[in-house]
Order: sequence, then structure tokens, then C-alpha cells
Amino acid sequence: MKITKIGFICTILFVLVLSACGNSAIQQSGGSGGEADASEDKVKIGAILPFSGVYASLGKDLSDGMKLYFESVDWEAGGKRIEMIEEDTGADPQEALKRTRKLIDQDDIDILTGAVSTAVAYAIRDEIVTNKLPYLTSHAGGNDLTREQKSDYIWRSSFSSWQIGNSMGKWAYENIGDRIYVAAADYAFGREVSAAFMESYKEAGGEVVGQVYPPLGNNDYASYLTTIRDSDADGVYAFFAGSDAVRFVQQYEEYGLKDKFQLLGSGWLVSEDLRESIGNAAEGVHAASFWDYNLENEENGKFTEAYEEAYDRRPTIESLEGYDAARILVETIEALDGDVSDPEEIVKAMAAVEFDSPRGPFAFDQNTHHVIQDMYILETIQEEGRTENSMIDQIENVQDPGK
Amino acid sequence: MYRTLENNQSTTLEVDKIDILIAQMVNGLSYGMLLFVITCGLALVFGILGVLNLAHGSLYMIGGYVGYSVTATYTQSFWLALLTAPLVVAFIALIMERTLLHYTYKLGHLSQVLLTLGVAYVFHDIAKIIWGTNVLSIRVPESLAGSVSIAGQLFPLYRLVIIAVGIVIAVGIWWVQNKTRWGAIIRAGLSDREMIGALGVNISLVFTSVFVLGGILAGFGGVVAAPILGLYPDMEFQTLILALVVLVIGGLGSIAGTFTASILVGVLETFGRYLVPELSMFLVFTLMAIILVWRPNGLLGKQVAEG
Amino acid sequence: MKIYLKFSTALLLFAASPFILTSFHINLLTEILIFGIFALSLNVIVGYTGLVSLGHAAFFGAGAYTAGIIAQNISANLLFTLGGAVLLSVILACIIGLFCLKVSGFYFLMLTLAFSQMVYSFVYQSTGWTGGSNGLSGIPNPILFGWELSNTVWVFYVVASLFLVVYAILGIITESPFGKVLVGIKENEKRLKSMGYHTNIYKYAAFVISGIFGGVAGALYTYFNGFIAPSDIYWTMSGTVLIMVLIGGAGTMLGPVLGAALIVLLETIVSTYTNMWMMILGAVFIIFVIFFPSGIYGISKDIFKGIQNHTVRPKVKNISNEKVS
Repeated sequence: MKITKIGFICTILFVLVLSACGNSAIQQSGGSGGEADASEDKVKIGAILPFSGVYASLGKDLSDGMKLYFESVDWEAGGKRIEMIEEDTGADPQEALKRTRKLIDQDDIDILTGAVSTAVAYAIRDEIVTNKLPYLTSHAGGNDLTREQKSDYIWRSSFSSWQIGNSMGKWAYENIGDRIYVAAADYAFGREVSAAFMESYKEAGGEVVGQVYPPLGNNDYASYLTTIRDSDADGVYAFFAGSDAVRFVQQYEEYGLKDKFQLLGSGWLVSEDLRESIGNAAEGVHAASFWDYNLENEENGKFTEAYEEAYDRRPTIESLEGYDAARILVETIEALDGDVSDPEEIVKAMAAVEFDSPRGPFAFDQNTHHVIQDMYILETIQEEGRTENSMIDQIENVQDPGK
Repeated sequence: MYRTLENNQSTTLEVDKIDILIAQMVNGLSYGMLLFVITCGLALVFGILGVLNLAHGSLYMIGGYVGYSVTATYTQSFWLALLTAPLVVAFIALIMERTLLHYTYKLGHLSQVLLTLGVAYVFHDIAKIIWGTNVLSIRVPESLAGSVSIAGQLFPLYRLVIIAVGIVIAVGIWWVQNKTRWGAIIRAGLSDREMIGALGVNISLVFTSVFVLGGILAGFGGVVAAPILGLYPDMEFQTLILALVVLVIGGLGSIAGTFTASILVGVLETFGRYLVPELSMFLVFTLMAIILVWRPNGLLGKQVAEG
Repeated sequence: MKIYLKFSTALLLFAASPFILTSFHINLLTEILIFGIFALSLNVIVGYTGLVSLGHAAFFGAGAYTAGIIAQNISANLLFTLGGAVLLSVILACIIGLFCLKVSGFYFLMLTLAFSQMVYSFVYQSTGWTGGSNGLSGIPNPILFGWELSNTVWVFYVVASLFLVVYAILGIITESPFGKVLVGIKENEKRLKSMGYHTNIYKYAAFVISGIFGGVAGALYTYFNGFIAPSDIYWTMSGTVLIMVLIGGAGTMLGPVLGAALIVLLETIVSTYTNMWMMILGAVFIIFVIFFPSGIYGISKDIFKGIQNHTVRPKVKNISNEKVS
């Protein structure tokens, strides 16, 4: 029985150690403001990104993209120094919530950005709204974040699953054929993208001859591909990303589907960092995306050149998202002359940001707080022993319907 | 959402169904053999050392990554990768056994579980530092690339090679177990670990060699599976869980059981995905639950002491 | 008499913490206590009965999702959501236990894993109820006697008081004759059987008790975060809680709580400084196995004994008996 004592001694010690730092919870519940003096000359930006787990490479690219832009303005905006505090969320939304609370309570950040997984964005949503923290979503694409769950404080500069799927639907009907097979990874985002695709494809007059939803992280597509091979579709629309995309596109060719059906998908199916692993199997894929390495415009030229010089590798879609997010933040702070004390003012300034991005013209939809952007139809071609994406069509001003 | 399934079945009815069934059977076999190649090292180590090596997935991963480095950067040779990677992994396994695992034989299962999990965590971050977080893949050598036609259906040649590789490994293990002195020792160890000592064999040496052999098999599996499964962060834990399931379905301490279970899981999962794709997620674990409730020691497992 | 003293000390400390700690640390402490309850619940079967489960997240998830779904669709009343969570955990534990107790040892571990993964798949695919991979968000704050627990401090008080209650209940259970039988099963089931005990009924009861408190922990996690994700019900969660029990010291009351504290603190503190926190966590596991096989509790016991009377030796044998198996 005596032994329990040691536990309580530990608890007491623990409490004492913790009490050594900072204000108490009771005093703090009034909100931020305790350390106003220290942060007067700087703007604190919190970034919640995955640096571990399955999304680690996306998190790194987003972070590198942001740093590249901040570097280009010498980490200064509106006369203030920019301080970026990064927190690793892994692929776990609960971890992300914990990190966000830490950024709010401990670091007293002024603006939050990041979130790769949509679940993360939904997890932190209520925390952000109750704390009136301006939040710029720089990747997570779940539709509801700028629809049912939209908030004055949440703005999204990346994409919505609707934009990705919808842009391909009509184009596929007009250019590929009127019968299509849909295969998508079984998670909320995969389902949303394929639903948006099918809606627009059917509206145009096409027929979906079959659908299949392999689990996320599925390692053998042979069974599904054999089923698809015996359908009489004109093409296959597939939504997969990361290692799933590599396996699907490779096995699609190995099982002889490439010669029978045109493969369609999103930009992630043949993204910049995957094509080397996919190899020649990627050739001929049509994909819808809001940016590509080979887009020809002045901003993109500047961006890709600077990125390759800084990191010695090509930027990905996520690098671009990070770069744009940093630019939006800088322009917001500039517009406020560095006064970030009022969240309402931050949000107002952010709403007004408009510029020419490497992806084309960038502007927010004032109603949904979601980006209005051009979508590009890409074709993967072979060039000098490697595969490249080239733009074959453009759909201008794709705007999420917001419901 | 699932309504379209009927749609899709009505179209397949017109095509010759037998062809599809044969095709799926081959798919299932090749997937099953892939599972066997991945699991056999784990089964061997568990069977003889009684150690549940949760770092098995990590050894497999390191094998795959080393194979990638060899094929992508240094020599471009798949065959050299197939030789180098198992050796590198064997060396790592040797160090791991001599410096860490060695201490835990007297501590019991739970300590080994915790230790090997700790090792898996450490390897996870080491792999991240060395090979980054991008998705990588090993290219199949030209001679094994391409597809062949069976019963009017196209198959990747490499899948058929994997079936052969699986059978060769199974036969090899069977031969060693039943026809060599080493096999006799191992069989003795499988049924009664103390008996090895009684035979006057250096137990410590047997344990080390078996663990290293498990490492070789894991590294080999890593290279063989990489062209199909790819290399990506967290791959080792996905693989580990799958391997554990196969191991348990087959029954602990039985290589024949692992072999049977691999084929069973491969074939049933492939047909399950074909017939009821909406239940794909449930398949493996449901199968495991049914088998364990039906046969509490797995398909061919022997009674294992509790603990 | 001493026990009351200890409990009132703990009560006082918990009551005072929000006045001393920042809200960040209160959140941390709340999380530790929730995982403490979760680890304590698993300890009933792992530490006392000797059944190692790798599927305990099923109950945590069941409790969490039930509390969340009830709060969203029926009522956010804490008694209601907690009651629902307990009820579903009981039902789930009764069903899973029925099957899992047919097997033993490593097969038990894998069968519990199988069932929890089936629960996971079910939650993941029932998008209409649970939000699927997006998780269940926008869960209203719990309401207790008409009072909305909107503040971290209130949630902390609820969690801390429930923690004390759970700790007391489990302490009483393990000290009771019933608990002694469980320990007997762990040490030698055959002997107990031959003595005429229906060990299966005891094991079943332990499994259900363990499931109930796992569910309670899950419900508390929902109140705390207002959000649940399928990752909370995934096998990695079962693995984490098992590690908490093992590192803390299985088969002791305070051990699992200390284990929970260590893991939560490590993850929080280390991941602030480096992205390589898995490596550090892994190294900690290895160090514990090699150098401190009896867990944190074992270390503190050693130190305490050392301070007490400088004669550690006679008791060491006792400790090492505890950790084997």
C-alpha cells in the first residue's frame, strides 16, 4: 500500500513543474493577449502539416513551398517579421487538434494554415471558430469545409473535391466516350471526387457502366482490374493518390487495360513525384488538375525555377499550394500594415487578396470562401526517356457551387 | 452506391465466366504466394525462437529500400539487388539479435513484443532519413516484364514468377526441415525448445542463425514484393499486420500452415473483391475471426503453451 | 484510513490544478487522465487476468462514437451519452468476449485484433452515421444538470472526478476475492480449474468490465475533443494503450496511469522539437525492456524502497516474478 505514495509524490512533482510555467487555465480562459508585448514586432503563423505518416511527403512539399515564398520577401510583411511555427500532425486528426490547441494556447498564433488530410480540417474546425482564429486551408479538399461547415474564419486556397471531379466529367463525355467505369479509393475524398465526376458526366449525357471502391492502401488491384477488363466501357475514371496511384496505374498497364480503355483521373494519379515510380505505364493518362509543372505562364516559370534552385528537385502540386498560401498570408499582412490584432480585419483583408498565381488567376469566392480557379486537362506523354504532363485543354473559372 | 454492382454483373454474364474465374484463381494464387514470401520469415522465427518479431515488417521494408537503392542508383541490376538486399538485412538482423533480442529470451513474450516494436519505430525514422518519404518503386527487369495470356486473359509475367518463387521457397524450407541435420534441430525446437539443449546443440547459435535466416527471407521478400506493392512511409506496419494475420490463420509453429494460409487468404481475398467488392475491408479479418473461432489454433497449428 | 487520505490529496490536487496550470497543461493533464482510464481498463485483462488484447480500441471507439452520435442526434446530456456509451460497450464486450475467450495466448491477441478491425471497418464504412474517414465533427459540448461544459476546465473536472471513481472501483475490484481469482488465473489457470472455479466465467466478467471502462474512456475523449476519427478505433490505438500498460507496469494499479502519462508527455513534448519522435519513442521502449523490465512502477518502487530502508535486495525477487508472463 505504501507504494501508492510514490505515485502521489510524482503527481505533486509533476504539478509543481508544470505550474512553473505560464498563466493558469482559469485566468487564461478569457482568450489570448497575455504576451502582447513580445509579439508586437512579429506575426505568428502556425502551420499544421504532416511530417510523418503516409502524408509526410505532401507536408514537406507544402512546407518547402511556403518557405520559398517567405524567403523571397525576407520573412517580412507590413513592416513585421514573419514567424512560422510548424507542428507535425501525422495522419491523425486527434493529434492535429492537440497541436492546434497548442498553437493557440502556447504560441498565441495570429493566423493558422495547413491541413493535408480533410479529416484534420474537420477536426480543428470548431476549435478555430470558437477561438476566432483566421485559418487558410492550403490542401484539405473536402467539399463541406466551404459548404455546410463554412465559417467567416475559414478560407481555402487549394481546391475542393468537387472542382477536381466536376472539371473532368463534361470533358470526358465530349472527348472520350459515353460509357465509363469509375474506380476510386474508398475514403471520403475519393467518394466525393468520383461523385462530382459522375454527376457532371451523367449531366452531359454519359452513362456510368460500373463503379468499384477498393479500400485505401489496397495492395493488389488484380481482382478489380480483371472485373473492369470485361466491361464494355469507353474509358476508366480513377481516383487514387500516393502509393495507391503508383500501384493502380502500373497494374492497369500490366493487366492489359491500357490498350482497351482510356485512363482518366485527377492530377494526383500522375503527379510530379509519382511518375518516376510509375514509369512508362503513366503514358497516355488524362488528368484534371489546377496546376502542372509544365504550365506556361510567367509566374510558373519564376516559381519552378526558384524552387528547383532552392531544393534541387521539381515542385509538386503541394509545393505550389504552400507557395500560394504563403503569398496570400503575406499580402494579407501587407494590406493590414502588419496590424494583426483583430481577426475580423485579417479575414476581411484575406478575402480581398487577388493575384496571378503560377496556376493562373487566383481569387476567393466571397460567398463560400473557396478559391475560384482554372482547371487544366493534362495528358501524360513520353519525352526524352521520361514522362511529362502537357496541358491539352483548359476549363476557366471553375467555381464550387457551395452547396 | 452499390446498386451498380448488379449492372456490372449483368455485363460480365455475357462474357465467358469460366475465363474470369480462372483469371481470378491465378490472381489469387499469385497474391497468396506474395503473402507467403512476406510471411515465411516471420513464421520461421516465431516457430523456433518463440519470438513474435514485430520488426519483421521493418526488415522487409529495409530489404525493399536497399533493393531500390541498388537498382535505381548504383547498378540498375535487379538481380544484384536480389542478392545484396537480403545480405544487408541479414547483417542488421544479426546485430539486432546479438545486441538486443538476446537479452529478452528470459523475459517472456510481452517484453519481446515491446522491444521489437521499439526497434520497428527506430527503423521507421531511420528509413525516413535515408530514403525520404516519397513513393518509390523497383522496376521489374526486362526479362520478367511484359504479360502473357492464359485462357484468353492477360497476366503480368512477374506475377507468375512470384508463384514459382513462393513454391521454391516453400520447397526449400521443407527440404531443410526434413532432410538436413539443421532441419532435425529445428523440428526438435518447434516441438520442444528445451530439447535442443538436451541434444547438445548450442541453442544460442541456433537462435542467432534462425533469426538471421528470418532476416534474409524478409529482405528477399522486400525486393520481390517491391515492384508490385511499392515502397512508401508506413508500409512496414501494413505489411506486418497482414503477415501476422496469415501467420495466425495458418497456425503458429507450422510452415505448412503458413503456406496453406497464404494461398487461402490470397484466393479468398481476390474472389471476395471480385464478388462482393463493397466488403473488401472486412475480408481478411473476418476470415481470421471465423477460422480462429472454428479452429482455436489456426489451420495447422499445434497447441502452444500459454503466455 | 490511509486510502482516504490519499484520495483526498488527489482530489485536492485535481481541484487546484486549473488555478495553477495553463489551459495547455490542463488539456495535457485531461488527456493523460483519459488515457489513464483507458490503460487501467485494459490492465484488468492484461495485467490481472493475463489475457493480452490487441483490440481494446474497439471499446474506446464504441464509447466515443456512441457518445458523439447520441450527443448530435438525441441529447447532449452527459448522463445520457455516458450511459449510451457504457451500454454499447457492454453489448460489444459481451459479444466479442464470447468468441475471443475460446482461444488463448497469442491467438487471443490476434482474435481481439480481428474483432476490433471489423468494428473499425464498420465505422469507416457507415459514412451516414459516423462521417467515415472524415470522422465525426461538430459534436455539441456535453451538458450536465443543465450546465453546458463549454470550457476546458469543466471538462477537466468531469474527467478528473470520473478518473478517481474509476480508479477506486477498479482498485476495489482487484482487491476483492474476485480479483484474487483473476490473478490466480493469470498465474495458473489449470490449478484454479481443478479447485472448482469456473475460470471462463471469471475471464468473461473481467473482459466485460475491461470493455465497459474502455467505453467510458472513449466517451470522455469525445467530450474532451468534440471530434472522433476512425483512427481512434484503429489497431494502432490498441497498440498504444497496450504499450502504456506494459511500460507503466502491468498488474499494478498506478503503473498503467504512469505509462499513459509518459507516452502522452513524450509524444507531446518530443514532437514539438523534432519530427523524429517515433525514433525516440522506439528507443524508450527498448531501454525499458532491457533496463527496466518491470516498468515505471517497478522503478519507482525500487527507488521508494531504497529511500525507505536502504535494503532493496530482499524484495527484488518478488518484482521480477511480477513482470514475467
